[in-house]
Amino acid sequence: MTFEPESDLSADEVHDRVDETIADNEVALFMKGSPMMPQCGYSRKAIALIQQHRDDVATVDVLPALDTYREALEPHSGRETIPQTFVDGEFVGGSDILAKLDERGELAAKLGA
Amino acid sequence: MDTDAVAALIREGVPDARVEVTTPRHPDDDDHFAATVVSPAFEDESLVDQHQLVYDALGDHLTRDIHAIELTTYTPAEYEE
Repeated sequence: MTFEPESDLSADEVHDRVDETIADNEVALFMKGSPMMPQCGYSRKAIALIQQHRDDVATVDVLPALDTYREALEPHSGRETIPQTFVDGEFVGGSDILAKLDERGELAAKLGA
Repeated sequence: MDTDAVAALIREGVPDARVEVTTPRHPDDDDHFAATVVSPAFEDESLVDQHQLVYDALGDHLTRDIHAIELTTYTPAEYEE
């Protein structure tokens, strides 16, 4: 069985995963799908922009419990949209903001690269 | 939702906003939008806070009726350039 129903992940596990991923990693990306197989164009754009500058990004696929991840991310960023990028625990933005920072030549510095 | 409805929500929520909303994928697409928003309310705000103002204007529609919105925000001075 490769299909994982949402009930496999409890709300507590999702909240812990979000809190720990943001706290324990310099760069964290919550996305739909994986870096190898993004499931949404905006997540694809976000991981591509980050990987231009850093290989060591922690990614979390939110699709197995999408609504719970949205709720868990909101206190950290003020929003429920995916993708979301964090650097040193601070919310940086979704794919539009990453693109704008890249355009301004500020993305590498923002990612600590 | 259609582009007019999305634009109306943004105009309502962001002070003195000039708003253009398009559907970048397909003309009949009703849940992927792109918006360019120009407002004096963006002055002295970070990109995150500028986008937050627009997201707040869209409220619960975002993630429910709207799958995604590509945002480009400008202050009036930036837009003139």
